[in-house]
Amino acid sequence: MKIPRFSRKTLCIPYAVFLIFFVIIPMLVIVFYAFTDKNMHISLGNFIRFFSDPTKLSTIVYSLVIALITTVICLLIAYPVAYILARSKMKRKFVILMLFVLPMWINFVLRVNALRELFNLLSSLGGMEWLASSNYFKTVFGMVYDFLPFMILPLYTTMLKIDPSLYEASADLGANGFTTFTRITVPLSMPGIMSGVTMVFLPSMTNYVVSDMLGNAKVTIIGKFISDYFGNDWHMGSMIALVLLIVVFVSTWLTGGFKSEENVRGANL
Amino acid sequence: MKKKKLLSVALASAFLLPSLASLGGCGSSDTIVLRVYNWEEYIDEGGKGTFIYDELHELNDEGDPVTDKNGHVHIESDIVNDDYKAWYQETTGQKLSEEGPRLLDDFCLWYERTYGQKIRVEYSTFGTNEDMYNEIILGNEYDLLCPSDYMIMKLAAEGWLEKYDDGCDENGVPDGSYNFFDPEVPENYYVRNVSPFIADKFENNAGLAIRKDDNGEEIYWKDYAAGYMWGTTGFVYNPVAMNGTLEAFLEECDWGIFTNEKVAGRITAKDNVRDTYFAALGVTYQEEAHNQAQSLAALKAQFDAGTLSPADYTEGITRIFNATDDETISIVEPCLMDIKKNIFSFETDTGKADMVAGKIWLNYAWSGDAVYAIDLAESGVDEDGKASATARLNYYVPKTGTNLFFDGWVMPKGANKQAAQAFVNFLSMPQNAMRNSYYIGYTSVIAGENQEMRDYADYLYGYEFDPEEEEEPAETVEYDLTYFFRGENYTGDKRVEITAEKENATKRQLYAQFPPEEVIARCAVMDYYDREASERINELWSRVKAETLDAWAIVVISVTVLAIAAFIVFVKFGGEIDFFRARPKKGFRLVKQEDYKQIK
Repeated sequence: MKIPRFSRKTLCIPYAVFLIFFVIIPMLVIVFYAFTDKNMHISLGNFIRFFSDPTKLSTIVYSLVIALITTVICLLIAYPVAYILARSKMKRKFVILMLFVLPMWINFVLRVNALRELFNLLSSLGGMEWLASSNYFKTVFGMVYDFLPFMILPLYTTMLKIDPSLYEASADLGANGFTTFTRITVPLSMPGIMSGVTMVFLPSMTNYVVSDMLGNAKVTIIGKFISDYFGNDWHMGSMIALVLLIVVFVSTWLTGGFKSEENVRGANL
Repeated sequence: MKKKKLLSVALASAFLLPSLASLGGCGSSDTIVLRVYNWEEYIDEGGKGTFIYDELHELNDEGDPVTDKNGHVHIESDIVNDDYKAWYQETTGQKLSEEGPRLLDDFCLWYERTYGQKIRVEYSTFGTNEDMYNEIILGNEYDLLCPSDYMIMKLAAEGWLEKYDDGCDENGVPDGSYNFFDPEVPENYYVRNVSPFIADKFENNAGLAIRKDDNGEEIYWKDYAAGYMWGTTGFVYNPVAMNGTLEAFLEECDWGIFTNEKVAGRITAKDNVRDTYFAALGVTYQEEAHNQAQSLAALKAQFDAGTLSPADYTEGITRIFNATDDETISIVEPCLMDIKKNIFSFETDTGKADMVAGKIWLNYAWSGDAVYAIDLAESGVDEDGKASATARLNYYVPKTGTNLFFDGWVMPKGANKQAAQAFVNFLSMPQNAMRNSYYIGYTSVIAGENQEMRDYADYLYGYEFDPEEEEEPAETVEYDLTYFFRGENYTGDKRVEITAEKENATKRQLYAQFPPEEVIARCAVMDYYDREASERINELWSRVKAETLDAWAIVVISVTVLAIAAFIVFVKFGGEIDFFRARPKKGFRLVKQEDYKQIK
């Protein structure tokens, strides 16, 4: 019996079809809508309106700041955790890692809803009333809670792959713990940091489910803005989406998301 | 060549997909399909919680059926009685399932019995009028939609809708074809059962300016829409809040409660521009006259004094609540900002739960939701089955005027009009209107040509003294609903009145579900915004929802971000550009990048 042989190119077809219909064509549609007006004439009107409207620029800036704060907090929490997990000789460190990653397996709307209820409970306690109206705090908290596993995992995998003999060499040559950390751990875990930052920073700019549910819909980030515009003005909505896309593209490029370096070692999930 | 091949495979599969899909539907060519596009949770979906199920089962506190000692769970019902069961068997040809049948299934049975044709309903749902509108203009095909008042007008004015059949040809000459509005046709349940009050509102375009479509023809609602549900907007409030003074305070502030600091963080607004802009107009115009329009309070005073006719009053408030000119927007904008600062949240769905949980005191709500929230609080358990913190909630309609809304059935161009109109008629049978109204909590437009709907209202809200449960009879009032129920044969002294508990009739479910005539008199219906106006309002809404930074803050933050970006670029590529590299010490030479690469 003749076994049908698939060349690499044939095997690519399903994915190529997928790419064309669900990535490339939608992208072109967005570009088309962004540069046309309501009568479908080519126009730069949306572009000009976007960059001359302080509300839209502010929203982008706000989203950037929220995303930045979220990323920094995630990094500050995740780095020690990943470091300890990767370096310790604990027997059950897999269990601890699982404890951080496990929430990822539960639907995230469910988790945010649970968090909302938790905040409700806390804000009904004495002395915690401020919580009910601190919408930005709750939004950032929700984002951190939501994206923390995405920071821990890449950090953990890169640190696990740092050769322990490097630490020994460093100690041999008389470096103290701090120097070892700054000269060996941090540089070698850089790919992990970069991919963690990318994986937290980008979604937290647009994840408006969190800001809607925890911020009482009083916090508007760019994702919500786009969704609102798509209710009535697809052209402006597309323009905002396009600007966001460019921001994302630039920040991915800056954090090295497109490099295919060898020392990435699988951290770029 | 290879590339071309790839593309052709891709295209071929794209063309193949739809034909595969149509293959699936081939087998049943004698079945017609009715595509209905409705709001979420807006029709009797069968099972527990439906009228039929609840009527035939006595439920305990957990909502489970109670069994008697013989193991029977069914009880006698006043409305779902033998007559009702016989009627059901007559219309659908099946025995009434006591577990609560789905209304859509019943429609298919009825349709086949009546018209001798099999039918299948493809039922899908939407979340907002605007989502639905986008679907339609993108070319999604449906036979029947259920938009709200202003969206009906928008769709009609833009020419997306079919008219209901009026038995005339294109020139308006009767040609003996089907007439949806002819009460003599046995299947025309809608026209026979619709409340005269709603029919009248539709007839007169609900006090809105007469719109013209693209061909310059005047647009009337009744040509394009058949009513489904209606209601008012108002405040659900917790009467025990503020040491029991909230009720009086609300009456004193009226719309102004939205910006009153005493309820800061204890009140919610709707998370959509139409409802919240409407409320902001209420706050702005309540006491003060702006922009050539009188204040709402002044209009009300003139109406009460009898110097302003009801029609003029309706027109006056309708104009105020639909104002979109620049001047109005500039007055309303700071008011919206104040509202945002004062409220607990913008919400669409969470207000009811927050209300029952006692977290907020006031919830700006649609009347159907109000009924639901009041019922929920009364039942003592919240949506998740936990004991609720609030035992009772009330409903208040602003006394200086509020919103009256309709949701109605319309047929987009190319719809199967025959099946669509049959569906509307089926929903308009009083027995079915009861089921829908009970399931979703809103008020049906159906009043019934006979006694059925009055009996239903009386059954829900009529008060009878029960010596086993109460020590003395509660205070009752005769609640007048003549305006809604009066039929063709109405004579002045034949009033429709329900003997109801006074509390219920003045501030609770009955008041919310069937507002009295004096509330209706001060209601305005939303008109649609044309393109320019809707752009202005949406820009306004995005300014309200987002935080606008000062120009200097934008500049500072942007510069910071750019600086960080530049720094990263410098760190990454600085070493590869000679200009950025450190100058060599005396006596050394800098190896240029190009030379370096060559050496390598």
